[in-house]
Amino acid sequence: MLAELGNFSLIMALMVAILLSVYPMWGAYKGHQKMMAMAKPLAIGMFLFTAFAYFCLTYAFVHDDFSVAYVANTSNSTLPIHYKYTAVWGGHEGSFLLWTLILCVWTLAVALFSKAIPVKVLARVLAILGMVGIGFYLFMLLTSNPFDRLLPFYPIDGKDLNPLLQDFGMIIHPPMLYMGYVGFSVAFAFAIAALISGQLDSTWARWSRPWTLAAWSFLTVGVALGSWWAYYELGWGGWWFWDPSENAAFMPWIIGTALVHSLAVTEKRKVFKSWTVFLAIAAFSLSLLGTFLIRSGVLVSVHSFASDPSRGLFILGLLVVIIGGSLFLYALRASQIKSNGRYGLVSREVFLMGNNIFLTAATLVVLLGTLFPLVHKELGMGSISIGAPFFDQMFTYLIVPFVLLLGIGPLSRWKNQSLQALSKQIMIALGLSLSAGLLVNAGFEQSTYMADLGLVMSFWVIITTVMEVRQRIEQQVTAGKYSTWQSLQKLTASHWGMVLGHLGFAVTLIGITLVSAYNTERNVRMAEGDSVNLQGYEFVFKGISQLQGPNYSADVAHVDVYQNSQLVSTLKAEKRFYPVQRNVMTEAGIDSGFSRDLFVALGEQLKNGDWSLRIYVKPFINWIWAGAFIMAIGGVFSISDKRYRMGNLARTASSAKENPKNLMEQAS
Amino acid sequence: MKKFMIFLLPLVVFLGVLAFLYQGLFSDPREHESTLLEQSMPEFVLPDLMETQKSYSQTIFEGKVTLLNVWGVWCVTCAVELPYLQQLKQDGKHIVGLYYDQDIDPDFGIKTVARVQQEVKDKLAQLGNPYAFNIFDVKRDLSLDLGVTGAPETFLIDQTGKIRLHHIGDINPRVWNSKFAPIYNKLVAN
Repeated sequence: MLAELGNFSLIMALMVAILLSVYPMWGAYKGHQKMMAMAKPLAIGMFLFTAFAYFCLTYAFVHDDFSVAYVANTSNSTLPIHYKYTAVWGGHEGSFLLWTLILCVWTLAVALFSKAIPVKVLARVLAILGMVGIGFYLFMLLTSNPFDRLLPFYPIDGKDLNPLLQDFGMIIHPPMLYMGYVGFSVAFAFAIAALISGQLDSTWARWSRPWTLAAWSFLTVGVALGSWWAYYELGWGGWWFWDPSENAAFMPWIIGTALVHSLAVTEKRKVFKSWTVFLAIAAFSLSLLGTFLIRSGVLVSVHSFASDPSRGLFILGLLVVIIGGSLFLYALRASQIKSNGRYGLVSREVFLMGNNIFLTAATLVVLLGTLFPLVHKELGMGSISIGAPFFDQMFTYLIVPFVLLLGIGPLSRWKNQSLQALSKQIMIALGLSLSAGLLVNAGFEQSTYMADLGLVMSFWVIITTVMEVRQRIEQQVTAGKYSTWQSLQKLTASHWGMVLGHLGFAVTLIGITLVSAYNTERNVRMAEGDSVNLQGYEFVFKGISQLQGPNYSADVAHVDVYQNSQLVSTLKAEKRFYPVQRNVMTEAGIDSGFSRDLFVALGEQLKNGDWSLRIYVKPFINWIWAGAFIMAIGGVFSISDKRYRMGNLARTASSAKENPKNLMEQAS
Repeated sequence: MKKFMIFLLPLVVFLGVLAFLYQGLFSDPREHESTLLEQSMPEFVLPDLMETQKSYSQTIFEGKVTLLNVWGVWCVTCAVELPYLQQLKQDGKHIVGLYYDQDIDPDFGIKTVARVQQEVKDKLAQLGNPYAFNIFDVKRDLSLDLGVTGAPETFLIDQTGKIRLHHIGDINPRVWNSKFAPIYNKLVAN
């Protein structure tokens, strides 16, 4: 019964979405106040109907309603309860419902928290979000309805959730990632609204900047969580595989990074306007393209659980309408945009544009690498696969000039920067980072040149970031306005956002460099009591025990790790057998630390009773994800900058600036 | 007008990509066609992957019908085809690997031979080993001479050391039956 209500609720949501995309848009065109005012209640309605549909599906999961086809395919009565909640998005249909629900959440948030934005603009933005919604409701209702029944012959028990997804990381990774993916729809909607109205001044950049930053922060966390999950759950010990699905999430992230920076330039300096609009369209288009690539089955990937041409065709149709339509509009309108700011050849604008170009180039590399196998095949040249080496090599080339500009950009002034003053700072920063990087790397045994390069680049980012803050403060202090401490406090939240973003990037870079260069691994055959030495750690195999989980049985390998004859850690690596899907899964035993991870994965039992084990010592691997979280926190800092709320909350801004959560309450 | 053309460019590129995406929907991701010219095996002297002191030349293909399979551990599609290759081996086919490695390690830096060997061992232990032996294409010269465009690719070489078939992409039962089996069976019958 509830499944039918859910289905009905989805249809209602579609109807509301249609109204939302027609009335406010028409109202904005005609200047009709009442029609425009309908945008907000309609956005709320769309959210409520979708949320109810989502609730119905969750209810079906929790109550093991296997007459619903989707539940029967992705759940099982023995599945632990918390995974029943997450199994809602463990398959194709449900993941689209989550996608749509998140679109509604963003739409609702825009409707509620945009009091400073003119009614006309807001009406257009919400209408565009409604149009995107229509596409996805139709997709669900016509090709992948999560509420389809298996009546009258329904199974007694379900086929179970893919064991890979029965994991803590899966509880938070998809919602975070989708928050990011779908969040770019807001920046997209603002850009399209600006294109429609023809008012492409810097105000639209200011309005869409906090939304873009929010989406980017979510995406950063989502991608990092995905990478972390792959690391500990897949048991291969790697953290990035250049799998098409990873690429699909990485492309919007890179373009999103470019967009966040370009928006800042457009807002502050009123230049790069048409470029910023293009990036806003591109970020969301790449999110949609990623959805298509993964969900249509054109590419072979671990994430492709639906391979049905009719679904693929439908998403392709959506791409044509949304991306094609917006690029067409862009072509019509962008040529009329005039950027009226002026800047010299050596200026922050130019450095930022340089990095935008490198980020775009990086996106193109990923896009080409992902699509090339497809194009190659369609041209009749056969299937090939493009592996990690291609991407790694290209990224190694791109990152050096990118990091160089990343350091110089913040140090230089807007408009015009004296080359002499800048080159002095560059020399100091270069000297410091060279010596710091080489010195640190010399501390490792068998140091490699690649690690030298990576560390020097990381220190370069850190040192230039610190120099930039120092330079800011010095200006204030020498002007005699404030003391050092006061001027530190005077730095805006968005400035701290930038500082954290760049430092986070450096932390990630350090992690990538060190784990790539000094990762050590051994594949060993071990009998009980055997030990193996790796990087000064002694791994002692204590034996195997049996374990009975809720919906699996497992062999557990116990490994004690000693350093200088002192016990540092006891690791448990499991090999689980899930009987419903007849799947074997490895659950690695990991001891995570600040400067290294100890990683043990259990392999097969050999004929003579020995076991094969894979043992890794991974230096500084946690820094990769820690850096991503620092970047995301930087994003949050930037959003909390009070200047985004000057109009709507002038009265409360001073009391709310430290606490963005508090502010949300006030705004609602 | 010129400005308009520039801003039209993204749309044009998108429509180009779209055509491929559309075609991609209606073709099996594992399907492929290729017709490269029949050639005789180029000359080479290359070491064995596992025992590098041992070396091979083009004469090793004489006297036997061989499947020469170009592969690498970094190649996803190769991993997909390994189990089927193994089945072919169990049916008595002689399969030789031409190991194609990348000079830059995925984890930065130059790879040692020991590292490559370890990776290959792991992969084959995991997915099964269909190969009689592996030729290590150290500088990828042989792959270049053979016109290899990617991995996996497979060459069917007859008893006289002549290439009779060049297949780009993975081998699966369908490909084997439609493409390889007719030629292979004729060669073996001779």
